[in-house]
Parts: sequence; structure tokens; C-alpha cells
Amino acid sequence: MTTLKTSLFDEHVKLGAKIVPFAGWDMPVQYTSVKDEVLAVRQAVGVFDVSHMGEFFVEGEDAESFVDQLVTNDILGSPSGKAIYSPLCRENGTVIDDLIVYKLRPGRVLICVNASNIEKDFSWIKSKHVGFKCALTNASDRYSLLALQGPRAFETLRPLLSELPDIEYYSVYESSFEGQPVIVARTGYTGEDGFEIFGGHESVKNLWQKLMALKVTPCGLAARDVLRLEVCYPLYGHELTDEVNPYDAGLAWTVKAAKTKFIGKDALLPKPARYKLIKLILEKGIPREGYSVLNSSHKVIGTVTSGTMSVVLNKGVALARIEIDKAPSDEVFLVDIRQKAYPAQLTKKPFVTGGHK
Amino acid sequence: MTTNIPGNLRYTKEHEWALVEGQTVTVGITDFAQSALGDIVFLEVPEVGTNLKAGATFGVVESIKSVSDLYAPISGEVLAKNSDLEGSPEKINADAYGAWLIKVKVKDVAELNNLLTAEQYQEFCNTSH
Repeated sequence: MTTLKTSLFDEHVKLGAKIVPFAGWDMPVQYTSVKDEVLAVRQAVGVFDVSHMGEFFVEGEDAESFVDQLVTNDILGSPSGKAIYSPLCRENGTVIDDLIVYKLRPGRVLICVNASNIEKDFSWIKSKHVGFKCALTNASDRYSLLALQGPRAFETLRPLLSELPDIEYYSVYESSFEGQPVIVARTGYTGEDGFEIFGGHESVKNLWQKLMALKVTPCGLAARDVLRLEVCYPLYGHELTDEVNPYDAGLAWTVKAAKTKFIGKDALLPKPARYKLIKLILEKGIPREGYSVLNSSHKVIGTVTSGTMSVVLNKGVALARIEIDKAPSDEVFLVDIRQKAYPAQLTKKPFVTGGHK
Repeated sequence: MTTNIPGNLRYTKEHEWALVEGQTVTVGITDFAQSALGDIVFLEVPEVGTNLKAGATFGVVESIKSVSDLYAPISGEVLAKNSDLEGSPEKINADAYGAWLIKVKVKDVAELNNLLTAEQYQEFCNTSH
């Protein structure tokens, strides 16, 4: 299979990015240094090419009610102009994907999904698209997507667009850039304030070049993964998989039992959790995906789903999936790193507090 | 790819360098390796007195996003490890040939012939990447 290239591929090569295959795409994993890229987003502003992600449009009078019954979170209850994060589940409660629903205006909804799940999601959603008065379009090929993230994102982006009001975090606004329509959402995957800008390939390429001229730091997938892990956002294929439900992944808050109907409700109503997602900090050693988590008697009780060195803390951090009935009451955890058990501190709060409002 | 490969050192295909001085070999990772790894944040090398076997793993170097094994260029006993790197493994990024990892007492001098010359290593880097 040949890998796909985003409209910014040549820009990345020009900048000297290290390119890796990811979800069928050739993507920039880092430009200069992962550390510098992470710090740019935490302290100033950085930009990511995330054009590999998928965009579906749902349009028509039933758009909101159709999407509402597809996902576990509450879509109908939020006003137009809001963005809502939600898992997309099967009838048995397992997670097909996690996505963001953007309520652009009444009768027009944008769904942004993970690149690796575009086909799986679209065919699932299409199969449920019966009896609703709305059209469903996979527009992934027609859109490029930038994530401009960091405390200086708003002041950087506002002068470049026709207009950009100071919208709330998790809101969306339809604006234009150089006369072309762009969808601007105050969302991201870093924990910082920032925007995701959906637009046509040419517009997004021009916007990228403008941002480069303004010395915005280009950031790759490695920095993106560290940033999301520092603020404990789940990643599909790691914390979320086809085998777990939202409760297994710490996403109970996204399941709205009060909704009259949604796919997976019957299975999810008893809150069936087999696993618990926990957060661990290591003073020494770097936890990595797949490493075993042990209790005080060195018995395996779970697995690291994502691990890295935190750039902000300068310590190893991990999200780990623990079997609920093996969760130790003494809260003593160890991580097995190359046959050596390293002590790990359980923490309830995210490792790093992002600056988003 | 242009990379810094000093002519006075010998090399492995796993991107370690070896400085041979009599019976003692100083071991580090190459500039090519540190550049490919990116920001180095963790280093694990054996204690003094440990016996290494040529070609076997003797430690680990980790960047923010990756874990890489270190391979012994030659067999022998670890004489010293670089205490300068304890707590600041990023020094390897700054100076890959200055930031040595361990010194080894050579067990079998003939093994040194198995190591690549600078020219061979340059050729290896050019063709395999």
C-alpha cells in the first residue's frame, strides 16, 4: 500500500522534518527537537499538520438528532456553535472511535475522527443512517487541518482571518482566510488554548506558510503525543480500543445515561468496567507502552497503554490499564522496565495542567 | 546524509564508536545515532566489573519517544562508566564523541578486527539509511 501525503508534505520536507508512516500517511514526527516543540506549545505557540484526520459532514433537519443517537455524549443538549468530545460505541458498548462533534449551525454538523478509523467509522455511521432526514458526506479528501496550539494561538490567528471572535474553549466558528471559507474550532489535543482550522488544501497551505513566516514553531506527531499524554488525553489504539468501553478508559463523563436513546446505551447503563485507567509518575525510569504494572508483591495487575518522559516534569509518566478486581488497596504500583521493578506514584490529577480556558 | 565520523575511531553497525588505546577501549554512540534518537533523556550502562560480550547488548539509551539497546563493540570487563552523564545524558546530544559511556578492558585483541573503520562506517551509513 502506498502511503498518503498531506497537502503540506513538501513544506515538511523543506523544513527538514523527520517523516514516518502513520495510519497510512507519511507524517512529520519531528522537525528539530521534541522537547523544543513541546515547550513551544506550552509556552508560546506551535502548529501541527493534522490533515490526515477525517471529516464527515451531516446536513439536514435531523443532523443533530442523528448524531446524538450515534454517540454517548449529549449533542442535542448543547447549543449551536459548540464542540463536543465523545466516544462512538457499538451496541455492546465497545469503542469504535473517539471523535469531536462540531455543531456548526442548525442542520449542519461536522464530525472529526481519527485518521486510522476513517473507513471503519464512516461505514458504521452509514449503516445507522436509516430513517433520518439528513445527508452524510465523507469530506476527508477535501479538507486539510491545522492545529495551532499554545497560549499565543489566539493573538497569532486572529489577524490572519477575516474575523475571529474570542469564542469559548470547545466552540466553533465559520470564518474565512484570504476569501476562502475555513472552519475554526477552539479545540486541540494538547491541553493548551488553541485552534483547529479546517479548510481547503490550498487555503491551509497558504495559512501554514503565513504561520511559518510569523515564526510559529512547526511541531510533529512526537510532540503531539507527549503533549496529550502530559494532560492525560486518551489516544485511540492505546487507551481506547475495539475491546474496551468508555468506563474502562476513564471516560464515564462522556456517557450520558439521561439521554433517551443512543447506540450502546443498554450495554453501558450498568456501568460495566473491567478495567481502570490510572496515571503513574516515576521518579526513575521511563515507562513505555506494553510494560507490565505490578503490585507490591510483584504480581502483574495491568499494562502501560502510553508512556513517555514528560518534558515539563522531566519524569517518566504513564497511563496504565489495570484490571479492576486486581487494583491494590494500598495503592502501591511498580512498573517492570527490562525485568526491574521501578516504583510508580499514583496520581489522580493530570501530570500537567494545560492553560486552556 | 552528512555526519561527523572521526577517522581515529572504530565503529559497529549498531552505531557505537570505540576508541582503542592499548588494552583499553572507550565506547560511545555516534553522532549519527544521537541525531537519529533526538533528545536523549535516559541512559543505562553496566556497573564497573561487569563482563561484556562482543555483539551483545550492554545497556540502553532512551530519547523522549524511543528506547534503543546498546551493543558491545568488544568483549571484556567494564573498567569505568562516565559519571558526567549521570543525570545529564543530554550531553551525548551535544558531543557524541566526547560523551563516552564506558571504558572496557579488552579480552581478545583479535576482536578489534571485526569493527568497522571510519570509511566502512561512512559507507554503511550512506547505504543503509
